[in-house]
Amino acid sequence: MRLSLQKPIHRALPPRIAALLAIMPALWGTAAALAAPPSGRSWVVSLRRLTEQEYRNSIADIFGKEIEVRGAFEPTFRSSGLAAVSTASLSVTPVGFESFNKMADDIAGQVTAEKYRSKLPCAPRDPKAPDDACATKIISHYGRLLFRRPLTAAELDNRVGLSRRIAEQTNDFYAGLRYSLSVLLQLPDFIFRSEVAIPSADGRGGTLDSWSRATRLSFLMWNTTPDAELLRAAESGELNTPEGLAKQVDRLMASPRLDAGMRAFFDDMLQLDTLDTVSKDSLLYPKWGSGMADSAREETLRTVISLALHENRDIRDLMTTRETWIDRRLAVLYRVPFPFTSDWVKYEFPPDSGRSGLLTQISMLAMFSHPGRSSPTKRGVALLDIFLCSPTPQPPNNVDFSVVNDPKSPLKTLRERLMAHATNQVCASCHTRSDPVGLALEDFDTIGGYRTTENGVPIDVSASIQGHSFSGAQGLGQYIHDDPQYPACVARKLYSYSRGVKNSYVSDFSAAYKDFQNSGFRLRTLLRTMALNDSFYAAAPPGPSTSTAKEVALK
Amino acid sequence: MKLNRRFLLRGTCQGALAVMGLPFLDCFLNSKGQAQTNGRPLPTRFNTFFWGCGLTASLWIPKTAGTDYEMTVQLKPLEPWRKKLNVFSGLRVPLDSKPNGQHWSGLAAAITGIAPSRTGEFESRTIDQQVAEVIGKGVRFRSVSAASSGDPKQSYSSLGGSNLLPSEPTPLSLYTRLFGPGFQDPTKGDWKPDPRILMQKSVLSAVAEDRRRVMRNLGPGDRARMDQYFTSVRQVEQQMEAELQRPSIEAKVSIPEPPSKDLVANNAWPNLQVITPLMARLGAIALATDQTRVFNLSVSAPQNQMFVPGDPLGFHQSTHEEPVDPKLGYQPRVAKYNLESMELFAAFLKELDAIREGGGTLLDHSVVMAFTDQAYARIHSVDGLPILVAGGASGRLKTGHHIVGDNSPVSRVGLTLQKALGVSVDNWGKESLQVRTPYTELLA
Repeated sequence: MRLSLQKPIHRALPPRIAALLAIMPALWGTAAALAAPPSGRSWVVSLRRLTEQEYRNSIADIFGKEIEVRGAFEPTFRSSGLAAVSTASLSVTPVGFESFNKMADDIAGQVTAEKYRSKLPCAPRDPKAPDDACATKIISHYGRLLFRRPLTAAELDNRVGLSRRIAEQTNDFYAGLRYSLSVLLQLPDFIFRSEVAIPSADGRGGTLDSWSRATRLSFLMWNTTPDAELLRAAESGELNTPEGLAKQVDRLMASPRLDAGMRAFFDDMLQLDTLDTVSKDSLLYPKWGSGMADSAREETLRTVISLALHENRDIRDLMTTRETWIDRRLAVLYRVPFPFTSDWVKYEFPPDSGRSGLLTQISMLAMFSHPGRSSPTKRGVALLDIFLCSPTPQPPNNVDFSVVNDPKSPLKTLRERLMAHATNQVCASCHTRSDPVGLALEDFDTIGGYRTTENGVPIDVSASIQGHSFSGAQGLGQYIHDDPQYPACVARKLYSYSRGVKNSYVSDFSAAYKDFQNSGFRLRTLLRTMALNDSFYAAAPPGPSTSTAKEVALK
Repeated sequence: MKLNRRFLLRGTCQGALAVMGLPFLDCFLNSKGQAQTNGRPLPTRFNTFFWGCGLTASLWIPKTAGTDYEMTVQLKPLEPWRKKLNVFSGLRVPLDSKPNGQHWSGLAAAITGIAPSRTGEFESRTIDQQVAEVIGKGVRFRSVSAASSGDPKQSYSSLGGSNLLPSEPTPLSLYTRLFGPGFQDPTKGDWKPDPRILMQKSVLSAVAEDRRRVMRNLGPGDRARMDQYFTSVRQVEQQMEAELQRPSIEAKVSIPEPPSKDLVANNAWPNLQVITPLMARLGAIALATDQTRVFNLSVSAPQNQMFVPGDPLGFHQSTHEEPVDPKLGYQPRVAKYNLESMELFAAFLKELDAIREGGGTLLDHSVVMAFTDQAYARIHSVDGLPILVAGGASGRLKTGHHIVGDNSPVSRVGLTLQKALGVSVDNWGKESLQVRTPYTELLA
């Protein structure tokens, strides 16, 4: 098939290229040379497509920050509240692969370019000729880093063979190297992070092999590929001992790079990527300019990381704190003076500002609103899902919302109009849950600005959920702060995020949760206990339809 | 250079600056006024156009069937192309035991012939991919998708499951994909294959050779995903094969200059009005130069977020919150958004029809299927889903008709279009959406 497609091309080609093409089939290796996976009795538990940030961080860590990653990444989507979950079900589309292919070629080109060569593990005896020894050294070095496991002998042979043949044809060692590295960069072994299980000691299920443990820990803690030390610990088997594991977990957690890992988690959990596609009506809200969304995202991430990691405080304070981080853009929107000491400064809202933690940050208020109007329902539905792991079902198909927006209605404020839902039983079951949450935030408009009236009528921000009455954002913040479901939801989502499974499937976080609770809800305690617990690495046994090498070979 | 429509209008035509309009179009033609195709027949293309939240039944459905129907308010923007248009009304979308997934089931049924079990997932390849497999072989891109509201997730093109082939989200990204690196400029006489592509192709072969190894020890779900991965590898290999061929249209085509910066693409109506025709034109030029034979353009998410500045609700929210005007019998603001959506469709048709080739235009050698997610968005109903089809499929599809619903499932349109495009298919769809009889009266 492949050869027949190439025939017409042969005729059109200069002889030298045609000759090169003719030897290509020989370069592709034989079926017999294809490697078995690293371990005999093993099965793949999950394959997660790298996110854009994971890919970028991996390349920067493996090849250095000077290597540019130029290209577009396929979007992810949110499943069970987290984009991380969708990475375990997404594949690579032709458009996505086209991009991965170009990026791989571009990266490999940069790595083999003149100015980078001194960083490679070795130099060939003659740059105009193949050098198997040096190629082997380089390919096995980068192969191990890219695949997060050593290459098998057969994999290495194949890549070195390709390298040699292209080097022979082009009289250029680095051309051969470039294309071999490019192959590694676009194989699923790099683009997806695979978690491989081996039978557990009790024989009843599986446990992650040491390479997969290193991968899971590294992406969770640092949002990047395992570093040399972690790979060493995987290779030596240390990661499968309690002491070795604890040593690595503590090392990862002591590093400032933990910020990057937790930023990625909260960015996903708080759905901050929604800001990428938020449009605001520039006629009604001219203050919402370009760059506002990025600043709002950064404000929220800085607040979370500073409070939960740097100050190691109770994460429930995220609901009530009046401390935040602002830049000049946000200062304008918040109508507070901005001291010009640096780009970002810590700021504490006054007690009468009505502000309460993340709930009243511009990001959360703007993401879950309409372009020109706040939406108590959208806010309520989103906050219940994000902070209490309590998603709201879709409204019935034939529901009539028009009373909410009837201009002739005697109901002046959104609250009065929304309350009309309560008269309809079908609506009431959900709206009595979601609307109070959103109504308590009605002092804030669609871009997060503070207000106290709507259509000339003072806004009533009192609310009541399951018998608890409170008022305004600060009342809501305290309510969520005190609801044990909130810290439990953070723990559940951290589990879900770290493993790429739906949070409703997470059932084994109770041990970690207990420590979390006893510590006064310190994120570091949650992370550490989770990462040290055996159950964190447990895997279900392979399904009956998991393919074997034999079946696949027959296909 | 300030970026506006003008950036596309410039190009070189036989070495001279060409300006869009007739002189530009002439560049596509040989001395007899024919598109230059090396004597081969012009290919037939397939396009889709998606807009969210449907139309207003009392304002778009013509009163009579056939060719002499009186033009309706909401189809008015399409008037210039009525002879090249087929209007389908009264189509059913039977969902059997599947849920009516809001803003999803209708569109999925229209383009896969299968009622989906889950919102956000397709149960088969979408129609553009099914058609592309037949008509898109050997050209550079199997398909190209663009979203004029700036979100790459706004795509209705899939190989199945929850993977969507992402849309190009801005004019610059669409331009770069089509006419950036890898594009073989047919205006250059000294064409020869780029040896680097041969190398890259050998790299892809090496990747493809690892298929069996990768497939080992996988459960069925992951196996399907890796299968899709290797299908994608194969398509990019084919893309490189195409790039090694002399471009098949040797017309002295005016390839637009690259834009120097990008435009803001979002849901604001004024931006959509600028971006949509730009993207349509880039797509049309890609089709005319045979870079692809399948081009998908979408202007919104299913929950159409289009908004006219000053309207705090926007399209989707209006469908649910705007009261039905008791005198008019419909939602007036929603009706306006419906009309604006049809103006965007008209802008797409205009670009396709502006390029002359053969004895007609690019549109005549195309099929454009315009579809949406809801028949009546206010209550999320799908029965009566509007489908509009433009273009004569190089003479294989008769046009100018209003086809009135006779209880046909919506999938009958998809089957008919596939027949017109030469796809060998006896029946299409599943369960109550499975159809065997195309609209034979439309097939020439």
